[in-house]
Amino acid sequence: MKVGELLKKIFLVDLFKGLAVTFRHQHPEHVVTEQYPLERPKIAPRFRGMPRLLKNPDGSDRCTACGACVLACPEDLIKVGSVRDEKTKKKVLTTFDFDLGRCLFCGLCEEACPPECLDFTTEFEMGLYSREGTVLNRQQLEDGVQRKEFKK
Amino acid sequence: MIQSFLSYLHSNVTPGEAGSLPWVVIYVLLVFLGISVGVIFMNWFERKVMAHMQVRLGPMRVGPMGLLQPVADAIKLLLKEDLAPTGADKLVFWFAPIWVVMTAFCSFIVVPFGRTHAITDMNIGVLFMLGVSSLGVLGVIMAGWASNSAYPLLGSLRSGAQMVSYEIAMGMSVISAIMMTSMATGTGTLSMIGIVQAQLQQHRWFVFSFFPLGLIAMGVFSIAMVAETNRAPFDLPEAESELVAGFMTEYSGFRWSLFFLAEYTAMFGVSSIATTLWLGGWLRPFPNLLAGPNWELAFSLVPGLSVIVLGALCLFRYTRMPRIREMRPEAVGLAVFGAMLGLLGLVQLLPGVRERVQDIFWFTLKVFFFMYLYVWYRTTFPRYRFDQLMKIGWKVLLPISIGVVIATALIAVRQELFALVWR
Repeated sequence: MKVGELLKKIFLVDLFKGLAVTFRHQHPEHVVTEQYPLERPKIAPRFRGMPRLLKNPDGSDRCTACGACVLACPEDLIKVGSVRDEKTKKKVLTTFDFDLGRCLFCGLCEEACPPECLDFTTEFEMGLYSREGTVLNRQQLEDGVQRKEFKK
Repeated sequence: MIQSFLSYLHSNVTPGEAGSLPWVVIYVLLVFLGISVGVIFMNWFERKVMAHMQVRLGPMRVGPMGLLQPVADAIKLLLKEDLAPTGADKLVFWFAPIWVVMTAFCSFIVVPFGRTHAITDMNIGVLFMLGVSSLGVLGVIMAGWASNSAYPLLGSLRSGAQMVSYEIAMGMSVISAIMMTSMATGTGTLSMIGIVQAQLQQHRWFVFSFFPLGLIAMGVFSIAMVAETNRAPFDLPEAESELVAGFMTEYSGFRWSLFFLAEYTAMFGVSSIATTLWLGGWLRPFPNLLAGPNWELAFSLVPGLSVIVLGALCLFRYTRMPRIREMRPEAVGLAVFGAMLGLLGLVQLLPGVRERVQDIFWFTLKVFFFMYLYVWYRTTFPRYRFDQLMKIGWKVLLPISIGVVIATALIAVRQELFALVWR
Protein backbone atom coordinates (compact mmCIF):
# COMPACT_ATOMS: atom_id res chain seq x y z
CA MET A 1 0.00 0.00 0.00
CA LYS A 2 1.23 3.43 -0.87
CA VAL A 3 1.82 6.03 1.81
CA GLY A 4 -0.87 8.31 0.44
CA GLU A 5 -3.48 5.59 0.54
CA LEU A 6 -2.44 4.66 4.06
CA LEU A 7 -2.77 8.24 5.24
CA LYS A 8 -6.12 8.44 3.49
CA LYS A 9 -7.25 5.40 5.43
CA ILE A 10 -5.93 6.62 8.75
CA PHE A 11 -7.51 10.04 8.54
CA LEU A 12 -10.78 8.60 7.19
CA VAL A 13 -10.65 10.93 4.21
CA ASP A 14 -13.31 9.10 2.27
CA LEU A 15 -15.72 9.12 5.18
CA PHE A 16 -15.28 12.87 5.58
CA LYS A 17 -15.85 13.32 1.86
CA GLY A 18 -19.12 11.46 2.18
CA LEU A 19 -20.12 13.59 5.14
CA ALA A 20 -19.34 16.71 3.14
CA VAL A 21 -21.55 15.54 0.29
CA THR A 22 -24.56 14.98 2.53
CA PHE A 23 -23.91 18.25 4.35
CA ARG A 24 -23.86 20.21 1.11
CA HIS A 25 -27.11 18.73 -0.10
CA GLN A 26 -29.20 19.50 2.94
CA HIS A 27 -30.10 23.01 1.88
CA PRO A 28 -33.87 23.00 1.30
CA GLU A 29 -33.31 24.67 -2.06
CA HIS A 30 -31.90 21.43 -3.43
CA VAL A 31 -35.14 19.58 -2.80
CA VAL A 32 -36.54 18.14 -6.00
CA THR A 33 -39.78 16.76 -4.58
CA GLU A 34 -42.81 17.89 -6.57
CA GLN A 35 -45.57 18.97 -4.21
CA TYR A 36 -48.27 17.59 -6.45
CA PRO A 37 -51.57 19.33 -5.86
CA LEU A 38 -49.78 22.62 -5.24
CA GLU A 39 -47.21 22.21 -7.99
CA ARG A 40 -48.22 20.59 -11.25
CA PRO A 41 -45.89 18.39 -13.24
CA LYS A 42 -44.69 19.58 -16.61
CA ILE A 43 -46.32 17.29 -19.14
CA ALA A 44 -45.21 16.96 -22.74
CA PRO A 45 -47.82 18.06 -25.28
CA ARG A 46 -47.76 14.63 -26.92
CA PHE A 47 -49.15 13.11 -23.73
CA ARG A 48 -52.55 11.52 -24.33
CA GLY A 49 -54.88 12.39 -21.45
CA MET A 50 -58.45 13.55 -21.20
CA PRO A 51 -60.08 13.68 -24.70
CA ARG A 52 -61.60 16.89 -25.89
CA LEU A 53 -63.74 18.06 -28.77
CA LEU A 54 -62.34 21.29 -30.14
CA LYS A 55 -64.52 23.97 -31.72
CA ASN A 56 -63.75 26.54 -34.34
CA PRO A 57 -62.56 29.91 -33.07
CA ASP A 58 -65.93 31.43 -34.01
CA GLY A 59 -67.74 28.91 -31.81
CA SER A 60 -69.19 26.72 -34.54
CA ASP A 61 -68.71 22.94 -34.57
CA ARG A 62 -65.49 21.80 -36.08
CA CYS A 63 -66.59 18.17 -35.96
CA THR A 64 -68.16 17.11 -39.23
CA ALA A 65 -69.66 13.93 -37.79
CA CYS A 66 -67.82 11.92 -40.43
CA GLY A 67 -67.41 8.95 -38.15
CA ALA A 68 -63.73 8.37 -38.92
CA CYS A 69 -62.97 8.15 -35.22
CA VAL A 70 -65.69 5.54 -34.75
CA LEU A 71 -64.09 3.44 -37.45
CA ALA A 72 -60.60 3.98 -36.12
CA CYS A 73 -61.39 3.09 -32.51
CA PRO A 74 -60.20 -0.44 -31.72
CA GLU A 75 -62.58 -0.61 -28.74
CA ASP A 76 -65.66 0.75 -30.48
CA LEU A 77 -66.30 3.12 -27.65
CA ILE A 78 -67.13 6.26 -29.59
CA LYS A 79 -70.73 6.84 -30.57
CA VAL A 80 -71.43 9.70 -32.94
CA GLY A 81 -74.99 10.82 -33.58
CA SER A 82 -75.80 13.19 -36.42
CA VAL A 83 -78.64 14.57 -38.53
CA ARG A 84 -78.54 15.69 -42.17
CA ASP A 85 -79.08 19.38 -42.62
CA GLU A 86 -81.77 19.73 -45.32
CA LYS A 87 -80.40 22.95 -46.78
CA THR A 88 -76.67 22.36 -46.95
CA LYS A 89 -76.92 18.56 -47.23
CA LYS A 90 -74.20 18.27 -44.65
CA LYS A 91 -74.10 16.15 -41.53
CA VAL A 92 -74.55 18.07 -38.27
CA LEU A 93 -73.27 16.62 -35.01
CA THR A 94 -75.93 15.97 -32.38
CA THR A 95 -74.39 13.60 -29.81
CA PHE A 96 -70.87 12.42 -29.19
CA ASP A 97 -70.35 9.76 -26.51
CA PHE A 98 -66.88 8.74 -25.46
CA ASP A 99 -66.55 5.82 -23.03
CA LEU A 100 -63.43 6.55 -20.98
CA GLY A 101 -63.89 3.32 -19.02
CA ARG A 102 -62.83 1.28 -22.02
CA CYS A 103 -60.49 3.74 -23.66
CA LEU A 104 -56.86 2.67 -23.91
CA PHE A 105 -55.63 6.09 -25.01
CA CYS A 106 -54.05 4.75 -28.19
CA GLY A 107 -54.77 8.01 -29.97
CA LEU A 108 -55.94 6.37 -33.23
CA CYS A 109 -59.15 8.40 -33.20
CA GLU A 110 -57.20 11.58 -32.79
CA GLU A 111 -55.06 10.69 -35.80
CA ALA A 112 -58.04 9.63 -37.86
CA CYS A 113 -59.97 12.84 -37.29
CA PRO A 114 -59.95 14.81 -40.60
CA PRO A 115 -60.74 18.28 -39.15
CA GLU A 116 -58.44 17.56 -36.20
CA CYS A 117 -61.13 18.40 -33.69
CA LEU A 118 -60.79 15.35 -31.44
CA ASP A 119 -57.79 16.02 -29.22
CA PHE A 120 -56.14 14.30 -26.31
CA THR A 121 -55.22 16.97 -23.75
CA THR A 122 -52.51 16.79 -21.11
CA GLU A 123 -55.16 16.59 -18.39
CA PHE A 124 -54.51 13.42 -16.38
CA GLU A 125 -56.80 13.67 -13.36
CA MET A 126 -59.60 11.36 -14.44
CA GLY A 127 -60.16 9.46 -11.20
CA LEU A 128 -63.76 8.56 -10.34
CA TYR A 129 -65.45 6.83 -7.45
CA SER A 130 -67.84 4.83 -9.66
CA ARG A 131 -68.29 3.83 -13.30
CA GLU A 132 -71.20 6.27 -13.63
CA GLY A 133 -69.20 9.15 -15.01
CA THR A 134 -66.91 7.25 -17.34
CA VAL A 135 -69.03 7.91 -20.42
CA LEU A 136 -68.45 11.50 -21.48
CA ASN A 137 -71.15 13.22 -23.48
CA ARG A 138 -70.70 15.95 -26.05
CA GLN A 139 -71.13 18.76 -23.55
CA GLN A 140 -68.40 17.42 -21.25
CA LEU A 141 -66.05 16.82 -24.14
CA GLU A 142 -66.50 20.33 -25.43
CA ASP A 143 -66.19 22.04 -22.04
CA GLY A 144 -63.25 20.02 -20.77
CA VAL A 145 -62.68 19.37 -17.06
CA GLN A 146 -62.81 22.11 -14.51
CA ARG A 147 -59.69 21.63 -12.39
CA LYS A 148 -59.55 22.65 -8.73
CA GLU A 149 -56.63 25.00 -8.26
CA PHE A 150 -54.44 24.81 -5.17
CA LYS A 151 -52.23 27.55 -3.93
CA LYS A 152 -48.85 26.84 -2.46
CA MET B 1 -40.73 23.22 55.60
CA ILE B 2 -41.45 26.03 53.12
CA GLN B 3 -38.40 27.83 54.43
CA SER B 4 -36.13 24.91 53.64
CA PHE B 5 -37.87 24.50 50.28
CA LEU B 6 -37.20 28.09 49.29
CA SER B 7 -33.74 28.28 50.80
CA TYR B 8 -32.48 25.92 48.10
CA LEU B 9 -32.98 28.66 45.52
CA HIS B 10 -30.12 30.62 47.09
CA SER B 11 -27.77 27.68 47.39
CA ASN B 12 -25.17 26.88 44.80
CA VAL B 13 -25.32 23.11 44.74
CA THR B 14 -27.46 20.44 43.13
CA PRO B 15 -30.64 19.41 44.97
CA GLY B 16 -29.12 16.01 45.70
CA GLU B 17 -26.16 17.59 47.47
CA ALA B 18 -28.41 20.03 49.29
CA GLY B 19 -30.50 17.10 50.49
CA SER B 20 -33.71 18.80 49.52
CA LEU B 21 -36.18 16.03 48.65
CA PRO B 22 -38.94 18.17 47.07
CA TRP B 23 -36.42 19.81 44.77
CA VAL B 24 -35.02 16.44 43.81
CA VAL B 25 -38.51 15.33 42.82
CA ILE B 26 -39.02 18.55 40.85
CA TYR B 27 -35.70 18.08 39.07
CA VAL B 28 -36.47 14.46 38.27
CA LEU B 29 -39.77 15.50 36.73
CA LEU B 30 -38.13 18.37 34.87
CA VAL B 31 -35.39 16.14 33.46
CA PHE B 32 -37.97 13.52 32.47
CA LEU B 33 -40.07 16.18 30.78
CA GLY B 34 -37.09 17.80 29.09
CA ILE B 35 -35.74 14.52 27.72
CA SER B 36 -39.18 13.50 26.48
CA VAL B 37 -39.61 16.81 24.70
CA GLY B 38 -36.10 16.36 23.31
CA VAL B 39 -37.01 12.91 22.01
CA ILE B 40 -40.16 14.29 20.40
CA PHE B 41 -38.14 17.07 18.84
CA MET B 42 -35.44 14.66 17.64
CA ASN B 43 -38.10 12.53 15.96
CA TRP B 44 -39.09 15.52 13.84
CA PHE B 45 -35.56 16.84 13.45
CA GLU B 46 -34.07 13.55 12.32
CA ARG B 47 -36.72 13.00 9.69
CA LYS B 48 -36.42 16.55 8.46
CA VAL B 49 -32.61 16.66 8.29
CA MET B 50 -32.41 13.19 6.79
CA ALA B 51 -34.96 14.16 4.18
CA HIS B 52 -33.10 17.31 3.26
CA MET B 53 -29.80 15.45 3.02
CA GLN B 54 -31.50 12.99 0.69
CA VAL B 55 -32.95 15.92 -1.30
CA ARG B 56 -36.47 15.24 -0.09
CA LEU B 57 -38.87 17.40 1.85
CA GLY B 58 -39.64 15.29 4.90
CA PRO B 59 -42.72 15.88 7.04
CA MET B 60 -44.70 18.75 5.52
CA ARG B 61 -48.39 18.21 6.06
CA VAL B 62 -48.99 17.82 9.80
CA GLY B 63 -48.66 21.29 11.16
CA PRO B 64 -46.44 24.01 9.75
CA MET B 65 -43.20 22.49 8.42
CA GLY B 66 -44.46 19.15 9.76
CA LEU B 67 -43.82 20.25 13.32
CA LEU B 68 -46.77 18.29 14.66
CA GLN B 69 -45.68 15.06 12.95
CA PRO B 70 -44.33 13.49 16.18
CA VAL B 71 -47.66 14.19 17.88
CA ALA B 72 -49.52 12.47 15.06
CA ASP B 73 -47.08 9.55 15.27
CA ALA B 74 -47.58 9.26 19.01
CA ILE B 75 -51.37 9.20 18.66
CA LYS B 76 -51.10 6.56 15.95
CA LEU B 77 -48.80 4.43 18.10
CA LEU B 78 -51.06 4.65 21.15
CA LEU B 79 -54.09 3.62 19.10
CA LYS B 80 -52.35 0.56 17.66
CA GLU B 81 -53.14 -2.89 18.94
CA ASP B 82 -50.80 -4.16 21.59
CA LEU B 83 -49.78 -7.61 20.40
CA ALA B 84 -47.83 -10.33 22.11
CA PRO B 85 -46.85 -13.37 20.05
CA THR B 86 -48.10 -16.85 21.02
CA GLY B 87 -45.60 -18.68 23.13
CA ALA B 88 -43.94 -15.47 24.24
CA ASP B 89 -42.80 -15.23 27.82
CA LYS B 90 -45.45 -12.65 28.72
CA LEU B 91 -43.85 -11.32 31.88
CA VAL B 92 -40.41 -10.80 30.37
CA PHE B 93 -41.94 -9.58 27.13
CA TRP B 94 -43.77 -6.84 28.98
CA PHE B 95 -40.94 -6.03 31.31
CA ALA B 96 -38.23 -5.64 28.66
CA PRO B 97 -39.30 -2.25 27.23
CA ILE B 98 -39.89 -0.89 30.72
CA TRP B 99 -36.41 -2.01 31.73
CA VAL B 100 -34.83 -0.41 28.70
CA VAL B 101 -36.58 2.89 29.36
CA MET B 102 -35.74 2.77 33.05
CA THR B 103 -32.03 2.28 32.50
CA ALA B 104 -31.95 4.92 29.79
CA PHE B 105 -33.55 7.52 32.04
CA CYS B 106 -31.62 6.46 35.17
CA SER B 107 -28.34 7.58 33.69
CA PHE B 108 -29.62 11.14 33.71
CA ILE B 109 -29.42 11.23 37.51
CA VAL B 110 -25.84 12.43 37.32
CA VAL B 111 -25.87 14.44 34.10
CA PRO B 112 -24.99 18.04 34.95
CA PHE B 113 -27.01 20.46 32.84
CA GLY B 114 -25.37 23.22 34.86
CA ARG B 115 -23.48 23.63 38.09
CA THR B 116 -26.75 23.52 40.02
CA HIS B 117 -28.83 21.77 37.40
CA ALA B 118 -28.23 18.11 38.06
CA ILE B 119 -30.37 15.80 40.12
CA THR B 120 -27.33 14.94 42.17
CA ASP B 121 -23.58 14.97 42.02
CA MET B 122 -22.09 11.54 42.50
CA ASN B 123 -18.39 11.05 43.11
CA ILE B 124 -18.53 8.06 40.74
CA GLY B 125 -20.66 9.87 38.18
CA VAL B 126 -19.05 8.66 34.95
CA LEU B 127 -18.80 5.11 36.23
CA PHE B 128 -22.46 5.22 37.22
CA MET B 129 -23.49 6.50 33.80
CA LEU B 130 -21.49 3.94 31.87
CA GLY B 131 -22.69 1.15 34.16
CA VAL B 132 -26.35 2.05 34.02
CA SER B 133 -26.41 2.72 30.31
CA SER B 134 -24.80 -0.64 29.61
CA LEU B 135 -27.51 -2.33 31.70
CA GLY B 136 -29.83 -1.41 28.85
CA VAL B 137 -28.44 -4.30 26.81
CA LEU B 138 -30.09 -6.63 29.32
CA GLY B 139 -33.49 -5.26 28.34
CA VAL B 140 -32.65 -5.71 24.68
CA ILE B 141 -31.67 -9.33 25.26
CA MET B 142 -34.82 -9.88 27.33
CA ALA B 143 -36.93 -8.47 24.52
CA GLY B 144 -35.27 -10.71 21.94
CA TRP B 145 -35.48 -13.81 24.10
CA ALA B 146 -39.06 -13.35 25.26
CA SER B 147 -40.43 -12.69 21.78
CA ASN B 148 -40.22 -16.40 20.88
CA SER B 149 -39.21 -15.50 17.37
CA ALA B 150 -36.04 -16.01 15.39
CA TYR B 151 -35.36 -12.48 14.15
CA PRO B 152 -35.63 -10.75 17.53
CA LEU B 153 -33.38 -13.38 19.10
CA LEU B 154 -30.71 -12.92 16.45
CA GLY B 155 -31.02 -9.15 16.74
CA SER B 156 -30.67 -9.16 20.49
CA LEU B 157 -27.66 -11.49 20.36
CA ARG B 158 -25.98 -9.18 17.89
CA SER B 159 -26.87 -6.24 20.08
CA GLY B 160 -25.36 -7.91 23.12
CA ALA B 161 -22.11 -8.74 21.35
CA GLN B 162 -21.87 -5.27 19.86
CA MET B 163 -22.55 -3.38 23.06
CA VAL B 164 -20.06 -5.43 25.05
CA SER B 165 -17.35 -4.93 22.41
CA TYR B 166 -17.74 -1.21 22.09
CA GLU B 167 -18.08 -0.68 25.81
CA ILE B 168 -14.37 -1.40 26.17
CA ALA B 169 -13.19 1.14 23.63
CA MET B 170 -15.63 3.61 25.16
CA GLY B 171 -14.34 2.98 28.66
CA MET B 172 -10.72 3.37 27.54
CA SER B 173 -11.34 6.72 25.93
CA VAL B 174 -13.23 7.83 29.03
CA ILE B 175 -10.24 6.85 31.14
CA SER B 176 -7.97 9.15 29.15
CA ALA B 177 -10.33 12.05 29.80
CA ILE B 178 -10.50 11.22 33.48
CA MET B 179 -6.70 11.18 33.68
CA MET B 180 -6.73 14.67 32.27
CA THR B 181 -8.86 15.88 35.19
CA SER B 182 -5.94 15.33 37.54
CA MET B 183 -3.61 17.63 35.63
CA ALA B 184 -4.08 20.91 37.51
CA THR B 185 -4.97 19.68 40.95
CA GLY B 186 -3.09 16.42 41.13
CA THR B 187 -6.19 14.49 42.06
CA GLY B 188 -8.59 13.27 39.41
CA THR B 189 -12.30 12.92 39.76
CA LEU B 190 -15.08 10.75 38.36
CA SER B 191 -17.78 13.21 39.29
CA MET B 192 -19.46 14.69 36.24
CA ILE B 193 -19.53 18.13 37.82
CA GLY B 194 -15.92 17.75 38.95
CA ILE B 195 -14.82 16.91 35.42
CA VAL B 196 -16.36 20.09 34.03
CA GLN B 197 -14.84 22.15 36.81
CA ALA B 198 -11.46 20.62 36.06
CA GLN B 199 -11.83 21.83 32.48
CA LEU B 200 -12.63 25.29 33.80
CA GLN B 201 -9.52 25.26 35.98
CA GLN B 202 -7.29 24.00 33.20
CA HIS B 203 -8.57 26.73 30.88
CA ARG B 204 -9.41 24.36 28.08
CA TRP B 205 -11.87 21.72 27.02
CA PHE B 206 -10.42 18.25 27.11
CA VAL B 207 -10.83 17.92 23.31
CA PHE B 208 -7.90 20.29 23.01
CA SER B 209 -5.86 18.81 25.85
CA PHE B 210 -2.60 17.23 24.72
CA PHE B 211 -3.57 17.88 21.15
CA PRO B 212 -4.43 15.62 19.34
CA LEU B 213 -4.88 13.05 22.11
CA GLY B 214 -8.10 14.55 23.43
CA LEU B 215 -9.46 14.82 19.92
CA ILE B 216 -8.64 11.20 19.16
CA ALA B 217 -10.22 10.06 22.41
CA MET B 218 -13.36 12.01 21.60
CA GLY B 219 -13.35 10.59 18.09
CA VAL B 220 -13.13 7.05 19.42
CA PHE B 221 -15.87 7.78 21.91
CA SER B 222 -18.13 9.34 19.32
CA ILE B 223 -17.77 6.31 17.09
CA ALA B 224 -18.21 3.86 19.96
CA MET B 225 -21.29 5.65 21.22
CA VAL B 226 -22.99 5.25 17.85
CA ALA B 227 -22.40 1.52 18.10
CA GLU B 228 -23.42 1.51 21.74
CA THR B 229 -26.84 2.98 20.98
CA ASN B 230 -27.36 0.71 17.96
CA ARG B 231 -27.59 3.53 15.50
CA ALA B 232 -26.66 3.60 11.83
CA PRO B 233 -24.09 2.72 10.48
CA PHE B 234 -23.80 0.23 13.33
CA ASP B 235 -27.50 -0.61 13.54
CA LEU B 236 -26.90 -4.31 12.94
CA PRO B 237 -29.35 -5.40 15.66
CA GLU B 238 -32.21 -3.77 13.81
CA ALA B 239 -30.92 -4.10 10.27
CA GLU B 240 -34.21 -4.04 8.43
CA SER B 241 -32.88 -5.72 5.33
CA GLU B 242 -31.78 -8.74 7.35
CA LEU B 243 -33.66 -8.91 10.62
CA VAL B 244 -36.95 -7.08 9.96
CA ALA B 245 -36.56 -4.79 12.97
CA GLY B 246 -34.30 -6.86 15.21
CA PHE B 247 -35.34 -7.16 18.81
CA MET B 248 -38.28 -4.81 18.25
CA THR B 249 -39.88 -7.01 15.57
CA GLU B 250 -42.65 -8.45 17.73
CA TYR B 251 -43.42 -5.22 19.53
CA SER B 252 -46.15 -2.87 18.46
CA GLY B 253 -47.96 0.21 19.63
CA PHE B 254 -47.09 1.56 23.02
CA ARG B 255 -44.34 -0.94 23.80
CA TRP B 256 -42.60 -0.21 20.55
CA SER B 257 -42.76 3.49 21.31
CA LEU B 258 -41.12 2.76 24.67
CA PHE B 259 -38.19 1.21 22.81
CA PHE B 260 -38.10 4.23 20.57
CA LEU B 261 -38.09 6.54 23.58
CA ALA B 262 -35.33 4.49 25.20
CA GLU B 263 -33.18 4.55 22.07
CA TYR B 264 -33.30 8.32 21.79
CA THR B 265 -32.87 8.78 25.54
CA ALA B 266 -29.78 6.61 25.40
CA MET B 267 -28.51 8.74 22.53
CA PHE B 268 -29.01 11.84 24.64
CA GLY B 269 -27.30 10.06 27.54
CA VAL B 270 -24.10 9.13 25.76
CA SER B 271 -24.04 12.50 24.02
CA SER B 272 -24.13 14.21 27.38
CA ILE B 273 -21.26 12.01 28.60
CA ALA B 274 -19.24 13.09 25.58
CA THR B 275 -20.21 16.73 26.12
CA THR B 276 -19.27 16.62 29.78
CA LEU B 277 -15.98 14.85 29.23
CA TRP B 278 -14.64 16.66 26.19
CA LEU B 279 -16.69 19.68 25.30
CA GLY B 280 -16.72 21.37 28.68
CA GLY B 281 -20.24 20.47 29.75
CA TRP B 282 -22.22 23.53 30.67
CA LEU B 283 -19.31 25.96 30.27
CA ARG B 284 -19.90 28.82 27.87
CA PRO B 285 -17.29 29.44 25.16
CA PHE B 286 -14.08 30.95 26.56
CA PRO B 287 -15.09 31.22 30.24
CA ASN B 288 -11.60 32.33 31.23
CA LEU B 289 -10.33 34.21 28.21
CA LEU B 290 -13.39 36.41 27.80
CA ALA B 291 -14.06 36.91 31.48
CA GLY B 292 -15.27 40.08 33.18
CA PRO B 293 -18.72 41.52 33.82
CA ASN B 294 -19.25 42.76 30.27
CA TRP B 295 -18.51 39.45 28.62
CA GLU B 296 -20.47 37.74 31.38
CA LEU B 297 -23.50 39.86 30.54
CA ALA B 298 -23.07 39.40 26.80
CA PHE B 299 -22.91 35.63 27.02
CA SER B 300 -25.78 35.39 29.47
CA LEU B 301 -28.00 37.24 26.98
CA VAL B 302 -27.34 34.69 24.24
CA PRO B 303 -29.85 32.01 25.35
CA GLY B 304 -32.75 34.43 25.68
CA LEU B 305 -31.92 36.18 22.43
CA SER B 306 -31.59 32.96 20.47
CA VAL B 307 -34.99 31.80 21.72
CA ILE B 308 -36.43 35.17 20.70
CA VAL B 309 -34.86 34.75 17.25
CA LEU B 310 -36.54 31.34 16.98
CA GLY B 311 -39.86 32.94 17.89
CA ALA B 312 -39.28 35.67 15.34
CA LEU B 313 -38.57 33.00 12.69
CA CYS B 314 -41.90 31.37 13.54
CA LEU B 315 -43.69 34.72 13.17
CA PHE B 316 -41.89 35.29 9.87
CA ARG B 317 -43.06 31.91 8.64
CA TYR B 318 -46.56 32.89 9.77
CA THR B 319 -46.54 35.85 7.39
CA ARG B 320 -45.46 33.52 4.58
CA MET B 321 -48.22 30.97 5.20
CA PRO B 322 -50.82 30.79 2.43
CA ARG B 323 -54.02 32.67 3.21
CA ILE B 324 -56.41 29.79 2.76
CA ARG B 325 -59.20 28.84 5.12
CA GLU B 326 -57.87 25.28 5.51
CA MET B 327 -54.46 26.54 6.64
CA ARG B 328 -55.92 28.99 9.15
CA PRO B 329 -55.56 26.85 12.31
CA GLU B 330 -52.00 25.93 11.41
CA ALA B 331 -51.05 29.53 10.74
CA VAL B 332 -52.59 30.77 13.97
CA GLY B 333 -50.95 27.90 15.86
CA LEU B 334 -47.58 28.83 14.43
CA ALA B 335 -48.08 32.48 15.36
CA VAL B 336 -49.06 31.59 18.92
CA PHE B 337 -46.09 29.24 19.17
CA GLY B 338 -43.77 31.99 17.96
CA ALA B 339 -45.25 34.46 20.42
CA MET B 340 -44.82 31.98 23.26
CA LEU B 341 -41.20 31.39 22.27
CA GLY B 342 -40.64 35.14 22.26
CA LEU B 343 -42.18 35.40 25.73
CA LEU B 344 -39.98 32.54 26.94
CA GLY B 345 -36.96 34.35 25.52
CA LEU B 346 -37.95 37.56 27.33
CA VAL B 347 -38.28 35.64 30.61
CA GLN B 348 -34.80 34.25 30.05
CA LEU B 349 -33.45 37.78 29.77
CA LEU B 350 -34.49 38.59 33.37
CA PRO B 351 -31.38 39.05 35.53
CA GLY B 352 -32.26 36.36 38.08
CA VAL B 353 -33.21 33.81 35.46
CA ARG B 354 -30.49 34.33 32.87
CA GLU B 355 -27.59 33.34 35.13
CA ARG B 356 -29.31 30.07 35.98
CA VAL B 357 -30.56 29.25 32.50
CA GLN B 358 -27.49 29.88 30.42
CA ASP B 359 -25.72 26.74 31.70
CA ILE B 360 -28.58 24.62 30.43
CA PHE B 361 -28.51 26.42 27.11
CA TRP B 362 -24.84 25.79 26.41
CA PHE B 363 -25.09 22.18 27.54
CA THR B 364 -28.10 21.57 25.31
CA LEU B 365 -26.34 23.18 22.39
CA LYS B 366 -23.36 20.87 22.75
CA VAL B 367 -25.51 17.78 23.17
CA PHE B 368 -27.42 18.90 20.11
CA PHE B 369 -24.18 18.90 18.14
CA PHE B 370 -23.75 15.20 18.89
CA MET B 371 -27.38 14.49 18.07
CA TYR B 372 -26.85 16.18 14.71
CA LEU B 373 -23.78 13.97 14.20
CA TYR B 374 -25.97 10.91 14.76
CA VAL B 375 -28.36 12.01 12.04
CA TRP B 376 -25.52 12.99 9.78
CA TYR B 377 -23.83 9.59 10.15
CA ARG B 378 -27.11 7.86 9.52
CA THR B 379 -27.69 9.54 6.17
CA THR B 380 -24.10 9.26 5.03
CA PHE B 381 -22.77 5.84 5.88
CA PRO B 382 -24.02 2.47 4.70
CA ARG B 383 -24.40 -0.25 7.29
CA TYR B 384 -21.33 -2.32 8.17
CA ARG B 385 -21.26 -6.07 7.95
CA PHE B 386 -21.19 -7.74 11.35
CA ASP B 387 -17.61 -8.97 11.07
CA GLN B 388 -16.52 -5.51 9.92
CA LEU B 389 -18.26 -4.08 12.95
CA MET B 390 -16.39 -6.44 15.25
CA LYS B 391 -13.14 -5.72 13.42
CA ILE B 392 -13.57 -1.99 13.92
CA GLY B 393 -14.41 -2.44 17.56
CA TRP B 394 -11.64 -4.83 18.56
CA LYS B 395 -8.88 -4.22 16.03
CA VAL B 396 -9.13 -0.49 15.46
CA LEU B 397 -10.91 1.40 18.21
CA LEU B 398 -9.62 -0.64 21.13
CA PRO B 399 -5.89 -0.36 20.23
CA ILE B 400 -6.29 3.32 19.46
CA SER B 401 -8.02 4.04 22.74
CA ILE B 402 -5.49 2.04 24.74
CA GLY B 403 -2.72 3.89 22.89
CA VAL B 404 -4.36 7.19 23.79
CA VAL B 405 -4.57 6.17 27.43
CA ILE B 406 -0.87 5.24 27.50
CA ALA B 407 0.19 8.37 25.66
CA THR B 408 -1.90 10.58 27.93
CA ALA B 409 -0.41 8.97 30.99
CA LEU B 410 3.14 9.34 29.68
CA ILE B 411 2.66 12.99 28.76
CA ALA B 412 0.93 13.70 32.05
CA VAL B 413 3.88 12.46 34.07
CA ARG B 414 6.58 13.63 31.65
CA GLN B 415 8.24 15.93 34.18
CA GLU B 416 8.55 13.15 36.73
CA LEU B 417 9.82 10.87 33.95
CA PHE B 418 12.47 13.36 32.86
CA ALA B 419 13.49 13.87 36.45
CA LEU B 420 13.89 10.13 36.81
CA VAL B 421 15.91 9.80 33.62
CA TRP B 422 18.19 12.80 34.12
CA ARG B 423 18.90 12.23 37.79
